[in-house]
Order: sequence, then C-alpha cells, then structure tokens
Amino acid sequence: MPGVLTAIADPSVRDAFREWLLRIADDELVIGHRHSEWTGVGPDIESDVAMSSIAQEELGHGRALYEQIAQDEGSDVDRLAFGRAPNEYRHAALLEQENDGWEYSIVRLVLYEAFEGARLRLVAASGQEPVAGLARLLGREERYHGLFAETWLTRLAGGAVDGPGRVQAALDAAWPDALGLFEATPADDVLLRAGVLTSSPAAQREAWTDAVRPVLESCALTMPTAEAREGGRRGVHTPAFGRLLAQMTEVWRSDPEARW
Amino acid sequence: MTSGRVDQRDGGDARWERPLGTAPDVWAVFVQGRHRDMHVYAGDVHAPDAEMALVLAKESYTRRDPCVNLWVVRADQIHATAQTAAEMFVPAIDKSYRFGGSYRQQRRVLQSSYKASYREEDQ
Repeated sequence: MPGVLTAIADPSVRDAFREWLLRIADDELVIGHRHSEWTGVGPDIESDVAMSSIAQEELGHGRALYEQIAQDEGSDVDRLAFGRAPNEYRHAALLEQENDGWEYSIVRLVLYEAFEGARLRLVAASGQEPVAGLARLLGREERYHGLFAETWLTRLAGGAVDGPGRVQAALDAAWPDALGLFEATPADDVLLRAGVLTSSPAAQREAWTDAVRPVLESCALTMPTAEAREGGRRGVHTPAFGRLLAQMTEVWRSDPEARW
Repeated sequence: MTSGRVDQRDGGDARWERPLGTAPDVWAVFVQGRHRDMHVYAGDVHAPDAEMALVLAKESYTRRDPCVNLWVVRADQIHATAQTAAEMFVPAIDKSYRFGGSYRQQRRVLQSSYKASYREEDQ
C-alpha cells in the first residue's frame, strides 16, 4: 500500500506535507521528552503518573507520525527520531524549553494542547489518508492532556500565596515561544494553495488566541502582549535543544544499528 | 480568584486551598468497566477537590483495564463497620441452602443472551 506521501502526485505538495508531518512529530517527540523529565519528581504521585502517561502518549503520537514518513521512504523510525542534526528538527522552541518549575510545564501544556487539538483537526480535514484518520484517533488522547493541564492551571493560579504571580510569570515566559508555534513557512503556503490545509498560520493563531483567552482570563491571568519568537519551524533552535537532543539520543547513538 | 475561595464545582463545601503542610484529602475511586457493570472500588487518590480527583483517578486506575465511568467519593464520607466486628459476618450454622452454586439454572443464566450481549459490547 502506498504511503500518504507517495500518494501525492505534485512533488512540491509532497515535500510540504512531509515538512508538516515532521513538524507535528517533532513537536510531540520533544514535548514528550520534556514531560518525561517529571517522572519520579512530580509534585505528587498521582500527577507524576499522569504526566508520565501524557509523556508516553506524546512520544507515541510522534512515533505514529514518523512511521508515516518512514514507511514512504523506506527509512527507520528511530533514525528519523534520533539520527538527525539539530537544525533538521522542525519543532517550535516552546517545546524544547527546560521545565522551569511545575507551573511552567502546566502553562506550556495548556498552550500547546489548545494548539495541538486544532492542528490535528486540520490534518483530519486534509483528506490525506491514512494520516487524516490517524489525526482523528490521536485527537482523542489530546483531550485528556488539555483537561489535566487546565485543571492544574486553575488550582495553581488560584493559590493564596505566590501561585498567581508564578503562573503569570510562567505564562509571560512561554508566550513568545507559544506564538512561535504559528511560524509561517513556505510549506504552509504550498499546502494552503493545494487545499490540503484550510487555515493559514495567521488564522490558526487567531483561533488559538480566542480559545486560550477565556481559559487564562478565567484564572485571572493577563494575556501577554509580547511578540512571537520564531525559528523552530526552520530548524533554528535554542541551546536548550542541544542539551535535550544529547540526552534523548544518548542510548540510540551508543549503537544506531541495534534492534531494541 | 481570591484566596481561600470555595470551589463551587465541588458542591460549594470544598475549600481546596489549605495551609502548607496539610495533607490533601483522600478520595476513594470507583471504576465502571462496562456500561452494565457496577462501579467497583479500585483504590484512592489524593486531591484537593472532586474535579482534580477525577482527573488524577483516570490515569491512576484506568490505564490498563477498560473503563466507561468513574466515581470519586471523599474517603471520610464512607462509613465502615469496625474491623473487630468481622465475626458478625461468619455463619454459625450451615447455610448452604442460601448458595445457588449447585443450581443448573445458574449455568443457564451465565450463558444467557444477557452475557452474549456483553460479549458483543466488548467487541
């Protein structure tokens, strides 16, 4: 059975869709790794288990999407996930930042899940099977991730002592990187013109802002006004990603040919 | 949000904020595996309110076995018999007449269409 990419006749659309798949998979892989860093040190055992479970699911989503590409190109999922140079990764900077406290990880999860849910709906509507069906399936799990994040956000932001200030600081820190999720690249233009995507990065960003605003404002948080910090979608990453990649790929690099 | 607010979603009596060093409440978690099953006690979670207890119970108790619905109940709202009263439940005389184990009818019930529809639901 031909894969989703070989089924696309126009090479420029095929390349652009590959870029999009890689971007989603990289987002999931990198945030999955960051979430997994909470395993064993979460604020309580139940949230530790839940965050670890979310980490596993994000990694699983990344894997499922890498498989779509690997299947088409006869390549290896692990090599795709772990064997690229840093500038070949297409995730947004938001996902690579260190876990600067539980409140940062929760704020990031709230912002990312609102984005990811909408993006999976876009892919589901793209008509590109079997990825569209996969996106519908993955969206089911993202719903819990968002619920977990928002439930925690409400409690942290409602704290009596330093909760509100710390959550606001985390939000202010995450905001420019969160806007970087919507960095426009030539691939977006190609897919829009081809009708594969039905929403431009700017329109996605507007819809996302409308979606997160009531969540943040109901927690008495102030919407930041900072500008986007971009680069991730073009492979330009922060030093945090170099450290993450070195750690994440350590075992794989020890023997890239090993079968696990 | 003001300090010491009362969480209205939890019936209005659940003050989720408390002094540092106070342990969060314990909630008993009941899992319903399939729509016609009874909810079965699965274990506890620590959480400041019912909504958080449900969110945490989902990952703590439904990752492996099937689940269609969860209940959480504040553990201190569950009334229990005393452990020392256990012998109250032990029969003193033969009451095997109360057990249906030997009834052929029981096997028929177990193999009835009711159970068959369960299998369909599971697939």
